Amino acid sequence: MAKREDKARVQVGRPSEVVDEETFSPLVDVYETEDGATMLLAEIPGAKAETLDIRVDKGVLTIAADGALPDVSEEYVRTYSGFTGGKYFRAFALSDEIDRERIEASLEEGLLKLRLPKAAAAATRKIEVKEI
Amino acid sequence: MTALFRWPSGWDPTGTLRHMQREMDRLMGRDLFAESRSIGGGTYPPVNVLNGPEDILVQCEVAGVERADLDVSITGETLVIRGSKKPPADAGKARFHRRERGFGDFNRTVVLPDKVDPGAVEAELHAGILSIRLPKSEAARPRQIEVK
Repeated sequence: MAKREDKARVQVGRPSEVVDEETFSPLVDVYETEDGATMLLAEIPGAKAETLDIRVDKGVLTIAADGALPDVSEEYVRTYSGFTGGKYFRAFALSDEIDRERIEASLEEGLLKLRLPKAAAAATRKIEVKEI
Repeated sequence: MTALFRWPSGWDPTGTLRHMQREMDRLMGRDLFAESRSIGGGTYPPVNVLNGPEDILVQCEVAGVERADLDVSITGETLVIRGSKKPPADAGKARFHRRERGFGDFNRTVVLPDKVDPGAVEAELHAGILSIRLPKSEAARPRQIEVK
């Protein structure tokens, strides 16, 4: 089977998902790479790329997705149930150092990867003192 | 984990409990993979076993595991799912702010509820979910018995 990689878009705005009992908080790994970017990996198995909703609003990064298990006909009887599908939702506070415009996201085999680059250091501006 | 017998397909009475269990595991930083290395296999990956009239379906949650790192084998009525979840490649000695996913070798043994035909087993990996379809052997399929 060919591996699939979907590019996801990051939006700016308010999260609209309602958190309820069927919503899971995905497991994440967060680490910094050598070039100073922060990588966020979130496990969202079964999530369809089109239901992926990633937003940054007032310094809060939210990740939402619908992850359903493949449909199974009524004839099947559950003899062992270890996990179910459901919605995924998690929110993170972003440090001001992150450049929101350049966040990249990709989804591969149920693993969402976000790359959060640091903003280029603000150039030092010399402040001119005018003679009064 | 609970073995549920004869519940209809869509119902999962312990769903909420398991959700809470998972949240607690996450908060306490429990390493699910440590259990996998114990004798007899552990609890990763989570599996669902669905028993149908013609075949058995086994679903495994293996988000972030590469297809090449998965090993599915069957011996008689025992299905073994083995593999390895690798840590992020670019992490190296990077500084982790959060580390919940866990990584390492895993090994899960699933005893099937019925006899299957080992030559006809199919496994498919999609969106981090491994779906294994095991057609039942002839003797295990339902037979209509005519009453004379």
